[in-house]
Amino acid sequence: MNELLLMCTIAGRRAAIPALRVQSVLEIDTITPIPGTCAYVCGITPLRSQALTVIDCSLALGFDQPSNSPERRAAVIEHDGHTYALLVDAAEDVAQATSDPVAIPGGLGEGWQRAAIGMVETESGPVVLVDVETIIAGPPALAA
Amino acid sequence: MDELLADFIAETREMLEQSGTELVAWEADPSDKARIDTIFRFVHTVKGNCGFFDFPQLERLSHAAEDALAECRAGRREPDSALVSAVLAIIDRIGAMTDAIEAGEELGGKEDDALIAALDAGGPTEIQSDVTVQHEVVDEASEDAPAKGQRQSVQRSIRLPVDLLDEVMKGVSDMVLARNDLARRLREAGEQPTIDGPFERLSAILADVRTSITRMRMQRLEHLFSSLPRLVRDLSNELGKQVMVDFEGGEVELDREMIEMVRDPLTHIIRNAIDHGIEKPVDRLKKGKREIGLMRFAARQSGNQISLLVTDDGNGIDVDRLTEKAVAAGIYSQSEIKQMSQAQKLQLIFEPGLSTAAEVSSISGRGVGMDVVRSNLERVGGSIAVSSKPGEGTSFHLQLPLTLSIIAALTVSSDGQHYALPRSYIEEIVFGSSSSVEFAEAGERRLVTFRGRRVPCISLADVLGTESNERCDWESKTLVLIRLASDDVFALAVDRVHDHEDVVVKPIAPAIMATRLYAGTTLLDDGSPMMLIDLPSIAQMRGLVGELRSKPAVIEETQDKEEKAATPVMLFAGLDGRKRAVRLELVRRIDTVYADAFDIEGERAQAVIEGRIFPLAGIEHGALPADRCRLLRLSDGESEVVYAVSEVLDAAEMTEEIVPSANDHSIEGVTLIGGKPVPLIDGHTLFQRHGVPQRGNSPLVCRLPQDSEWARTILEPLVVAAGYRIAGDAEEEADLAIALAGDTADETAGARETVRLRPDPEDTGDGSIYRYDRDGLMAVLKRVRTGRAA
Repeated sequence: MNELLLMCTIAGRRAAIPALRVQSVLEIDTITPIPGTCAYVCGITPLRSQALTVIDCSLALGFDQPSNSPERRAAVIEHDGHTYALLVDAAEDVAQATSDPVAIPGGLGEGWQRAAIGMVETESGPVVLVDVETIIAGPPALAA
Repeated sequence: MDELLADFIAETREMLEQSGTELVAWEADPSDKARIDTIFRFVHTVKGNCGFFDFPQLERLSHAAEDALAECRAGRREPDSALVSAVLAIIDRIGAMTDAIEAGEELGGKEDDALIAALDAGGPTEIQSDVTVQHEVVDEASEDAPAKGQRQSVQRSIRLPVDLLDEVMKGVSDMVLARNDLARRLREAGEQPTIDGPFERLSAILADVRTSITRMRMQRLEHLFSSLPRLVRDLSNELGKQVMVDFEGGEVELDREMIEMVRDPLTHIIRNAIDHGIEKPVDRLKKGKREIGLMRFAARQSGNQISLLVTDDGNGIDVDRLTEKAVAAGIYSQSEIKQMSQAQKLQLIFEPGLSTAAEVSSISGRGVGMDVVRSNLERVGGSIAVSSKPGEGTSFHLQLPLTLSIIAALTVSSDGQHYALPRSYIEEIVFGSSSSVEFAEAGERRLVTFRGRRVPCISLADVLGTESNERCDWESKTLVLIRLASDDVFALAVDRVHDHEDVVVKPIAPAIMATRLYAGTTLLDDGSPMMLIDLPSIAQMRGLVGELRSKPAVIEETQDKEEKAATPVMLFAGLDGRKRAVRLELVRRIDTVYADAFDIEGERAQAVIEGRIFPLAGIEHGALPADRCRLLRLSDGESEVVYAVSEVLDAAEMTEEIVPSANDHSIEGVTLIGGKPVPLIDGHTLFQRHGVPQRGNSPLVCRLPQDSEWARTILEPLVVAAGYRIAGDAEEEADLAIALAGDTADETAGARETVRLRPDPEDTGDGSIYRYDRDGLMAVLKRVRTGRAA
């Protein structure tokens, strides 16, 4: 309840990332690709003296299409001592949740169901609250 | 040793500071047990350390205080104010001695007996003496006041938490990147003298700060290695064995913290190896081994890992005995053991409670050991692996992480992207188009033959999956020959080799780690990231590493070396085009100069390189090339000579014997290299003919008669050429004075030696030298010079 959320668009759908986990939102300039990694790992990008691992949220959820974002906005998140940049279609605003996350009867559909903590209500309507750990772990075939 | 001593001083001082408050509290209440315990611990530690460093006076003092305090702790003696004062006096004295040790002064110690006597339980008369003693100490300190001030300038040390260093390090890295950003903007904005100056200064300061911060955390592995020969010697003496140690990679730098972490595990492995592994000299001879056992320590750095290989040529691990023990101890059942592979059985050595020693010795064999070693290493994120061959030896392979490490890397590119390769693995770089490289195929495997060696060849683009082998144009690639810590060699083909630089390696996310291709990432100066290639892992994935190192080969190799004593030489073609060789130790570097750098006149030939004049040799073989010429800069440690060659060919190993040549003194003789006779340049003759002593930092001083025109114009150049400096004024102390016969004696005052020159060739019998007797004069100059050096 009253949790702050980073409102963003992942794979064409409105979604939310817990704002407490997000260090900053970044417009990625250049990504250095890393050959040999799974597709959802786009590469690395420098942020000051750190190298961020760039992860495409859409591919990480198991969708076929990579994130489509002209601005290449990404949420910077630290997990387990490493810093990641989660690439999303768009990241607009920070909003307040007006409800606790709840499960939706019938599920959220393939891809979403696994990575979702649940659905939360906001002033601008319901959004899927995603779990950053699941996204970082990658698509189901690899996470298994 | 100096470092240990500095540690001791720092530790003692730290304890002194800590115990300061305790002492005051104890003084208020002499019967306070907790305070006594603290102070007891302090003097006890000091005592232990002193014994180690051989400071008998300090040890005696702390020992006396420890005794008295132990009495109190045991309840045999009531602490009273007399005792408190006496102990305080001793602790003050320890502080003073610590300062003296640091400043390298005499410890003194005539009042120590009085201090110790004051500790004895006695009547109030003793207290009286105690008071005077304390007084004396204070007196001494005040007399020492100027000396104290001097001590302040002595290097002091403090201890800091590593976290703080990390934070500072990160801050400095950020600053460097901000500086680079600013530099780019300034360049774009054009020339701005008012800003450029301070900015340059800022950059220089930042570079210095960065270097010192880096050094704060790092320590060469040598510091660890240097303590091992002693340990090995003591252990082998105790056990009646003979063991030799061999180190490689002492220059690898490791986090200070990590060095301390490895010390214990390494000690354990050494104990085990000497106790169980290496046999007694008699047994070794029976088996046809050398009676002296060998332990090798080889360290390499790769990415954020240090690999340390500890090898002994002992009896190996007795696997049967190990399995027997495991069954006896009830860790595994007989049937479980049967299903194990040999390697798995070997892993049993890491099981708790197992030991293969038939009898328990004082050194090892109590069954605590390898399991503790492994868990200690794993706790810091490292790993340990073992391989062993019965009768031939055991090797332990330790992998240690570097949370923060600076490594020397070679930057290469493949498919338009830059990568870093750890330079410690790189043996050589060759062009695929070079005539000495031949490619071959065996099945799917590419092979490359270079310098008589056929090694597997893989392409970096293929490994990374950006380009398949079929489309690879091998001839256009550059080959980097990689030698792994396990002595396996392979060639890695890359598009281009760019540069070598020191990079700070940062850990990478698990998702990237999963590729097993990369060991870390690093940021270039312009802020763009670059991946560091994990060579050992790639080699393993491609099956280029032997599972077990073939031990006999290694042992034979070392024996071969001793028998044949391969000497590295450099092959070159002289100006006449003939192939010659020179010992590689003599070669300092290779220079390329233009023809105008030479100055040749009659017998005398010189070349100018970087503003210095060098004697030139090798021109007797032919004419110098018209435009540019290659020069080998040779050094005998003191003087340098350049040798003109038409082409530098290769480095080679000289294994055959040298057939001396009686007539030609310019060569040591002729030896066979690759089956062809090659004359070997005689360094001795070369430097005898051409070498001039280099002027050292502190040349000898010679005084010449000041009022003599002859001395100034004729004698002085000769003396200067012999490496002397002419004394400036009559007061200056001189190593040698040259006087003209008949001069008054005061000319020679203040000189260590005097030579008189006479105008007459006839020997007058007074030990003087004829003024044009060049050989005689040179002999004297030389004698004085070498005399001082000795």
